[in-house]
Amino acid sequence: MTNQHPTVAPARTVDRAEVTEQELRDLGVDLARDFPGSTAADFLRYPVLSEGGWFMVVKHQPTLRSVSREPWDLFGPIHLTSHGLDLS
Amino acid sequence: MTALRDLTDEQFAARYHSDRFTAGVLGNRMRYVVDHMCAGLLNNAFSSILRDWYDFGATIAGPPEQGYQMSTVSNSLAVFLGTMGDAVRNTIEEYGPEEVEEGDIIIANDPYRVGNHVNDMCFIRPVFHDGRIISFVTIRAHQLDMGGVVPAGFSATKRNSYENGLVISPMRLYIKDKPVRSTFNLIFDNARMAALLHPDMKSIYQALLLAERLILESVARYGVDAYLGAISYTCDASAEAMSTALRESIPDGVYEAEEGIDADGVDDSITYQLKIRISKQDDRVEVDLSGTSEQARSSVNATALDAKTAIAVGIKMLIDQTTPFNAGSFRNIDVVVPPGTICSATPPDGCVFLYWESTMPVLQAVYRALSTVLGVNAVGGDYGSLMLHNANGVTEDGMPWTTVAECGGEHGPWGATKAGDGDSYMVAQLINNIDPATEAIEANSPVVVLRKEYAADTAGVGTNRGGASVRRDTLYLRDAEHWSSPLHTKKPSGVGAYGGGEGVAQACWMFPPESFDIARTQDLLGTGPEVYATSQPIAGVLDPQTKVLDPDGEYHYFASTPIWRTKPRTIFRYQTGGGGGWGDPLEREPERVMHDVRDEYLTIEGAYRYYGVVVEGNPLTHPEQLTIDAAATEARRAEMRAGSGAAH
Repeated sequence: MTNQHPTVAPARTVDRAEVTEQELRDLGVDLARDFPGSTAADFLRYPVLSEGGWFMVVKHQPTLRSVSREPWDLFGPIHLTSHGLDLS
Repeated sequence: MTALRDLTDEQFAARYHSDRFTAGVLGNRMRYVVDHMCAGLLNNAFSSILRDWYDFGATIAGPPEQGYQMSTVSNSLAVFLGTMGDAVRNTIEEYGPEEVEEGDIIIANDPYRVGNHVNDMCFIRPVFHDGRIISFVTIRAHQLDMGGVVPAGFSATKRNSYENGLVISPMRLYIKDKPVRSTFNLIFDNARMAALLHPDMKSIYQALLLAERLILESVARYGVDAYLGAISYTCDASAEAMSTALRESIPDGVYEAEEGIDADGVDDSITYQLKIRISKQDDRVEVDLSGTSEQARSSVNATALDAKTAIAVGIKMLIDQTTPFNAGSFRNIDVVVPPGTICSATPPDGCVFLYWESTMPVLQAVYRALSTVLGVNAVGGDYGSLMLHNANGVTEDGMPWTTVAECGGEHGPWGATKAGDGDSYMVAQLINNIDPATEAIEANSPVVVLRKEYAADTAGVGTNRGGASVRRDTLYLRDAEHWSSPLHTKKPSGVGAYGGGEGVAQACWMFPPESFDIARTQDLLGTGPEVYATSQPIAGVLDPQTKVLDPDGEYHYFASTPIWRTKPRTIFRYQTGGGGGWGDPLEREPERVMHDVRDEYLTIEGAYRYYGVVVEGNPLTHPEQLTIDAAATEARRAEMRAGSGAAH
C-alpha cells in the first residue's frame, strides 16, 4: 500500500498574548529604565516548559528576558479525566 | 550573577553550606550512587529488556523545598533521564508530599504525567533524615508488558489511551517497606509476563534501598546541609556550563528547521511535520515547536516532556558535551510547544507509545537548524529512528516467547564531527542503551541472527564521513507475529554538518521461505541488488521493480499489514539510516577513502562517485593491495569541483 501524495496533518501553534503597559508596570517593569527603546508591544505572555516544569511567562521578545515567570499548571495544558473529580 | 569559580570561600559556603571540596566530593558521591543502583539492577534483573538492553535510568532529586531539583543521572537512557525531573515533581506533588512516608515506594507510569510510555514505570523512593524528606531516589525501568491490545505494547497501531495499556497514577507500591498487595494485583491482573515483572520489581526495590543507604551514609559523614547544598551546586554547575556554552557557541539569532515522520499506524494518507524555531539571545534560548502537525491518530506521539528532553539533549550534545546532564541543563532553555501535536499529545486520543520516533526528529531538527552556525563544531546527525521490531509466538513445547527491540534497526550509526568519522554501530544519541548480545537474543527466542554488518555507500559523505547503515538479517524459526515501525523512510535522518552529506534513508524487507529458503540454499541471503525483487517490502522508498533503495521510488508503508504473520524460516532484513557527514567530501584524503573501500564502507564505484577518488584493485580478494590512481583522482575531483557535484 502506498500513497505518494499524502496530506500533511494540520499545524498547531502557541498563542502568545499581548500585555499592556499597565501590566508591565504591575510587574515592576520600567520600560525606559529596564528596556530602553522598547514598548509594551515587545512583550508577550505564553506558557513555557523549562527547568522546574511549566511556567507562564511574560517575556521581552527581542532579548528573551522574562519579566514574569510564574509556575503554571503542574501538567501544563494536559487535562486528565480525573482532574476536578469530587470524591467527597 | 557571579560565576561559581569567582565566588569567595565565604560566598560559596553561604550558598551551598560547605566548602568547594566537600561539594565536589558529594557531587561525585551522588554519581557513584546512581552508578551502583544501575550496576545492581543490571546484575539482578530478570527480563532481557533490563538485563541486556539497559532500558532503565536512575536519578537523585532534591526535596520539595528545593523544587525536586534532579541533581544526578546515571550514564544511561537519555529519554528517561530528561523526563525524570518532571516525573518526580509531578508524581509527588499530585500524590501529596505531606502524604509520603519513610519506607514508601511511589509508582507512576502515565505518559501525560511522567513522560515516555506506559511500560516505563517510575519507582520513586523518598529518603528521610530526621523525619523530613531530603531526597528522592528514582529508577524508571521498562516493564516487559503493561497490558493493552498488543503484547509488549510496541505497536504504532494503537488508537487511544485505553488501547495503550494500564495507566497508573501516583500510588504506593511499598508502604513502610512492605509490598502493597492491591497495587501488585492491579498490575499483575492487567499485564502479561508477571513472572518476569515481579522479580524485576524486587530488584528495583533493592537498588532503591541501596541508594537510600549510600545517601544516608554521606549525610552522616558530611551533614545534611552540605548534602542539600551539593544538590543545588551540581545543578548550578551544569546550568552555568550550559549558559556559557550558549553565549559562546551560538551567535544571537533565529534558526529554523523541519523534519517529520512518514505516517501513523492507521494508514499512509497523512504525513506529519515537525517544525522548530530556535531563538537565541545572549545565554538564553527559546525553542518553539509551533507549526508542528497535530497529534497522530495512533501511538506514534510523544509528550511535551519528551520533546523538552530531545531539545535539551540535542543542544547539550552540540555545545556542552563535558558537564553532567541534570536539571540545570534545562535552566536557560524555554520550550514553547502547542498542545495536541505529535510532540505534545493530549489524552485520551493522543496515544503515546513510540514516543522516540516523534522526538528523534526534534533532535535532528536541532542539529539541522544549528548545522550552519556552529561552523567546524557542527555535528552530523545519527540514524534518527530505532526502526523497532517486536515479535512473539510460542515454542515447540508451548512456551510463549517475545523478542523486544532486538532484531530490527535499533542500533546504527552516528554522525561525523570535526574530530573524525562517525561510529557505525551505536545506540541513538537520544536513547543511549546497550546492544543485547546475539547469544542472549538467540537463547531467549527461536531466532538466528544471521547478519550484523555495515552497508557500503550509505554513510553521509564528508571530510569525515558519517557511520554506515547497519544491515541486520534475522531468521525466525517458528510461526510468529511481528510489529515493525520504520517511520523515517521518506527522507534521510542523518543530517550533514559543515558541508557534509546526509546518510541514506532506512528500509526494511521481509523474505518469506518461498522467496528465499535458507534451509534449501544452505547459504546466507545475499546483499546484491538482485536479491530484493522477490522480497515483501515492509517499509522504505524503493524501486518498484527491483525493490532496492531508490529515493525516487515507491513508498512502502510499515503498517500496510498491521501485524505481519510469518511462517518458519522467514527472514527480516533491516537497514538503518546512515550517519551524517562532516565537511567537504572532496577534502577527504584519498588514502582514507581507499581505506574505506578496503573496509567495505565504500565500493570502488562509490569512492569515485562521491569522493572523486579512483581506487584500483579488488577489496574482497586483495584488500591490502588497493592503489589510488593519483592523476585520475585529481582530474575527477577537478571535474566535481567545477560543478558536477558530489555526495548523496
